Amino acid sequence: MNFRVVGANLVVSLKCFYRERTAMFFTTMFPILLILVFGAIFMDDDNLHYNLCLQDLDQTETSAEIAKSLASTGKFKIIPVDAGIEATQYVNDTKENLVVVIPKDYENLSAQYLLNGDLNAFATLRYVYDPSSSSVLEKMQLLNLVFATMNQELSAKPPFIRTAQESIHTRKYRFLKFFIPGIIAMAIMTESLFGTVQVNTELRQKGIIRKLSTTPITRTDWILSGILHQIILAVISTTLMLLVSYIVFDVQLSINAWLPLFIVLDVFTFVGIGMILTRLVREAQSASSAANAIMFPMMFLSGSFFPLEMMPDFLQKFAKVLPLYYLNEGLRAAMVFQDNGTALSNASTIGAVAAVVFILGITVTRWEEGK
Amino acid sequence: MTKEAEYAIEVESLTKRYGNDLLAVNGISFNVRKGEVFALLGPNGAGKTTTVEIIETIRRPTSGKVHLLGMDVTKEKRNIVPCIGVLPQGFSSFDRITVRETMLYYSRLFGGRNDDIDKLIALVNLEDKAKEQYATLSGGLKQRLGIAIALVNDPKVVFLDEPTTGLDPRARREVWDVLLGLKKEGKTVFLTTHYMEEAELLADTVAIILSGKIIAMGSPAELIESNADYLVLTLQSVDEKAFAVVGGLGFEPEQNNDKALQVRVEHMDDIRKILNAMNDANASFVSMDVRKPNLEQVFLKLTGEALHESAGGEKGAQ
Repeated sequence: MNFRVVGANLVVSLKCFYRERTAMFFTTMFPILLILVFGAIFMDDDNLHYNLCLQDLDQTETSAEIAKSLASTGKFKIIPVDAGIEATQYVNDTKENLVVVIPKDYENLSAQYLLNGDLNAFATLRYVYDPSSSSVLEKMQLLNLVFATMNQELSAKPPFIRTAQESIHTRKYRFLKFFIPGIIAMAIMTESLFGTVQVNTELRQKGIIRKLSTTPITRTDWILSGILHQIILAVISTTLMLLVSYIVFDVQLSINAWLPLFIVLDVFTFVGIGMILTRLVREAQSASSAANAIMFPMMFLSGSFFPLEMMPDFLQKFAKVLPLYYLNEGLRAAMVFQDNGTALSNASTIGAVAAVVFILGITVTRWEEGK
Repeated sequence: MTKEAEYAIEVESLTKRYGNDLLAVNGISFNVRKGEVFALLGPNGAGKTTTVEIIETIRRPTSGKVHLLGMDVTKEKRNIVPCIGVLPQGFSSFDRITVRETMLYYSRLFGGRNDDIDKLIALVNLEDKAKEQYATLSGGLKQRLGIAIALVNDPKVVFLDEPTTGLDPRARREVWDVLLGLKKEGKTVFLTTHYMEEAELLADTVAIILSGKIIAMGSPAELIESNADYLVLTLQSVDEKAFAVVGGLGFEPEQNNDKALQVRVEHMDDIRKILNAMNDANASFVSMDVRKPNLEQVFLKLTGEALHESAGGEKGAQ
């Protein structure tokens, strides 16, 4: 192995990548865009609040307490609706999906129940809603919970059945925390696989590999510089993704020794698969199709975007034959849950896969022409 | 002088077979002397590229022996590579890398020093283009860069596989100028081409290959001398009567591209006979020219094949 040769090759491949501006933009920006889009969608997941239109027909101090109590939960932003407006018309005319109507004699009924002890007295708050809205049922369930708590408080007895939440993980995690390690693993896979397959088939097609085979560069030098190239891109791309998710969405993931290990294993696995594909596919165009055929199932079925538990049983079993699954699980164990045991078991599995495909890739990569 | 010292390349009974059907090279033997320009001349698919790629260590022969500077090409690739410079057929390089960076890259692969690069860039007249990316160069400039790269390790033997295929006449001339420069420097150059003019202009020795076999070999002058048993008489600006007059003598006159009369004759006496007949018939012409056939005519005679430049290269022999 000649480090001067490896260095020269690395410099050329990095320059080629940097100067292909469009390709560079899409390679580095695509995962960032995914993070921004999904981040925006799930940004308020932990701090969800709804607009709540409230029409107070009673207009008394007692009825006003309801608005205050609802607002104090932090789940609702109260929008008062004029008492003179027909609630059904209001829902039809505006984009709001629900109006809660407090009845006209609310204060009287309240006095009857609380002061006179008339347990037959009750007030009915009407939910006027648009059933075509997807979030309205969730909103009404939340309201029911709030009113159930208020009823229980009015009964002046402390609740008997109480609940306590205990997460199996020491820290609470947001969806974005789950999502970002998956995107890191996916982005490295894409670049390593496509980078290897496209560059090698193109250079072979253009005859550059043939020219290189008449110079002192060896197959080992060539493969090593390709691996280093992909590792550099993976580190840059991972750093960018972590920075964007931290700066824009305040996602704090644990950066530990597992991260570089999984980056390297990711690169070796998919450069190896890329080398095997390069041998099998002669044309650059078919090579991209072949890479896509491997990449897409991997992307969607190995739990990059959403937890595997959401998928049917047979797909969950299938996911376990996909190398990306172990990278996703390993990176999450390391970066989200700091679970060294799980990280180690996933690293061992993907390490074995990486070793096999990479050695196979080296074996099938041809440097000289046919014998 | 020993055999090793005299010959840069020795090829003995070289055969290359692809699969069971295609016999690309069929037991050829030849030697290339040090310091000479050797041209392997043949139509597309004749086996030129296969032969040259075996000598360059890119392909392995099916049988036969090939030695380069005394080294066996199948066993000593590592020692051979630093001694050779190769311009492969259809040379291409990294699109986004500039001329100078490309030279620097190949120079580093050979462990070379940087100051040699500018001399080579000047040799192929690419100083003005040194900072331009490969993708922006014209076909002729790309080939010139390819030649400069082939020289980056100061090789003892330079291989140029169809260096001017696909170039326009002007770009072809520019490449020839560079090759004539190499010849002056005394480099051993192994050239494959299907352009007769190129071989005639540049080569000391020409080997004509057809269907994997060498059918003739020698200097261009020798090949013409030994195969040209006729003369070509050309009469410029003849009037129409001339064709009937010459035809009447039993010859087969043809009209060439310049609308001149051209006829093959065997002896100088035949020319005298034609001129006398023209004079008797009052058939006029402005000028005349008698010459021996050129390499192309010899080639056509030897192979019976018309030469056509094909854009597709010689895929059949690869």
